Amino acid sequence: MTKKAEHAIEVENLTKRYGDLLAVNDLSFNVIKGKIFALLGPNGAGKTTTVEIIDTIRKPTSGKVTLFGMDVTKKKHDIVHRIGVLPQGFSSFDRITVRETLQYYSRLFSCANTDIDGLIELVNLKDKTREQYKNLSGGLKQRLGVAIALVNDPEVLFLDEPTTGLDPRSRHEVWNLLLGLKEKGKTVFLTTHYMEEAEFLADTVAIISKGKIIAMGSPGALIERNANYLVLTLRSVDEKVFDIVREMGFEPVHDNHKDVRVRVERMDDVQKILNTIQEGGASLLSLDVRRPNLEDVYLKLTGEALHKEPAGGAAQ
Amino acid sequence: MNPRVVGANLVVSLKSFYRAKPAMFFTIAFPILLILVFGALFMNQDNMSFDLYVQDLDHTDSSAQLVKTLELEGKFKVIRIEPAVNAAQYTRDYKSSLVLTIPEGYEGSFLQRTELNDPDASVTLTYLYDLSSSLVFIKIQILNSVFSGINQKMSGEPPFIRSAETSMLAGKYRFIEFFVPGIIAMSVMILSLFGTVHLNTELRQKGVIRKLSTTPITRTDWILSNILYQFILAVLSTTAMLLVSYAVFSVSLQINAWVPVFMLLDVFAFVGIGMIITHFTKEAESAAAAANAISFPMMFLSGSFFPLEMMPGFMQTFARILPLYYVNEGFRASMIFGDHMAALRHSAMIGVFAAVVFILGIIATQWEEDQ
Repeated sequence: MTKKAEHAIEVENLTKRYGDLLAVNDLSFNVIKGKIFALLGPNGAGKTTTVEIIDTIRKPTSGKVTLFGMDVTKKKHDIVHRIGVLPQGFSSFDRITVRETLQYYSRLFSCANTDIDGLIELVNLKDKTREQYKNLSGGLKQRLGVAIALVNDPEVLFLDEPTTGLDPRSRHEVWNLLLGLKEKGKTVFLTTHYMEEAEFLADTVAIISKGKIIAMGSPGALIERNANYLVLTLRSVDEKVFDIVREMGFEPVHDNHKDVRVRVERMDDVQKILNTIQEGGASLLSLDVRRPNLEDVYLKLTGEALHKEPAGGAAQ
Repeated sequence: MNPRVVGANLVVSLKSFYRAKPAMFFTIAFPILLILVFGALFMNQDNMSFDLYVQDLDHTDSSAQLVKTLELEGKFKVIRIEPAVNAAQYTRDYKSSLVLTIPEGYEGSFLQRTELNDPDASVTLTYLYDLSSSLVFIKIQILNSVFSGINQKMSGEPPFIRSAETSMLAGKYRFIEFFVPGIIAMSVMILSLFGTVHLNTELRQKGVIRKLSTTPITRTDWILSNILYQFILAVLSTTAMLLVSYAVFSVSLQINAWVPVFMLLDVFAFVGIGMIITHFTKEAESAAAAANAISFPMMFLSGSFFPLEMMPGFMQTFARILPLYYVNEGFRASMIFGDHMAALRHSAMIGVFAAVVFILGIIATQWEEDQ
């Protein structure tokens, strides 16, 4: 009973079809109150459909979704007062200013005490309050979208790709904003196709591919479980390096910068490779050894899923 | 229904309208321009005169007197053609639609009839006309009427059938009085139909409606605020049109309680149609095209610009199934004739239509995404 009360969102066997297309395939997961949950996957994986069912925009084909124990298909009116939503590709009324937009949404929620100035300050739009929506840059629009999602002081915040199209600086501003909200006890449900975003922000990450969750857990646990190796990157002008590493029995690949990247199990392997390169008379410009990240996990998992049946049990 | 939510939505719509200066200008200026242009064109319709080319081959005092009689009639500006000129060639060269030729021997025949009382004496005047001109038959009608008056006078007998003209209206009404109510009906239709279609498709395409569906605003709140917004625009536009009509053309139109009633019914009917169109067309461009396809025939066939009597019979029958016809007739019945029974009859017709399409529009308006 206590454990169940900790879940802000519970999703059971959620399925959504658009005609013959199976967009969401039997998803089951829970989101813990006060935590950041990220649904990570490429475009068309089913992220938006999933979040739009949970935040009451769409209706599921089958399955059950509850927010605070309330069925989203039956208690929409009660639920909308407790959630804040930033839909994908958020937009607002072109000729309405930042302040007026926030006042408008505040009136829709009949919130007499919304701290409009506080929200404006929170999203750092203080010098743009009189600016009409159409004149804001992409990053400012997105920040206004986050502020709108907060006008009713929601318990759960749904953000569908909140940083898509933003420059790195704006993206980091949104990230800091979300971490601040988490500190205030808000539950955040986030969809993204940026691995580093999920890794930086989320307490729990669910990797979704073709409508199915193929892995779920904390970023650290996912990496530990699915990518227990090191990534060695070698930069050289000598083309022999690639052949030397391959002849040692490793599986090197060229990355985008034509560097040689190779997975190794232990640090000893790194030393062995460096010695062999030196003995082979090749020279290196630089080298980098790092732990794998979610991107490596994602590549590994979706690569498997392309050739095998998806690991459906992973979500459970 | 939450009045606070409806009010908030209405304020946003009005601010957006006020800040879109070009849209605001054309919403109010376009119907006014129509009134000014058509009003100026038809204002002096009663005093209209036509060019009449006359070739007098007789060249006598009697024939000159006949030409003078035509001039005094007031309907013609007579342009004389020299007798030596080939009338047919002249008609082609100078694009004159009608040339009246008075034959040689006119005075002889005239004196034979008037002085000698010879009943067999007569003269034939020739009309040489260009059938492609739309005005030629009006000119011939007026000429025939003038000549029949002269014949009557020469016979010396009083006419058996006389006509007495009595207007059924209290005052003298002109084309502009007919025209203004039609333009009001048409403008309110365009505002409501295109306003609804544009607002809904644009906001849906931009994802604003998706965002709104996650707030407490309901479909009813949204539709109601849209109706109020369109009605306010209709009041603004109608007021501007009436002010210009009174100021420039001194129109004799009554403003009574029927005017807002027909405006409201006009708004309901075409907001309803707009909502139905929005359901079936997903993009703003195709929705606008569909709205055009509905409004354009309605504008010309339902008697907004021209009286239905000018149309062929089957078109008159067709016009009576168009909703705008009943708005036009309702406005005219109340504003021109002060005929409350006719206004009631027309309001009942458009009221039933508005109720049906509005209910269908509400059903068709989707708040949640289903695709």
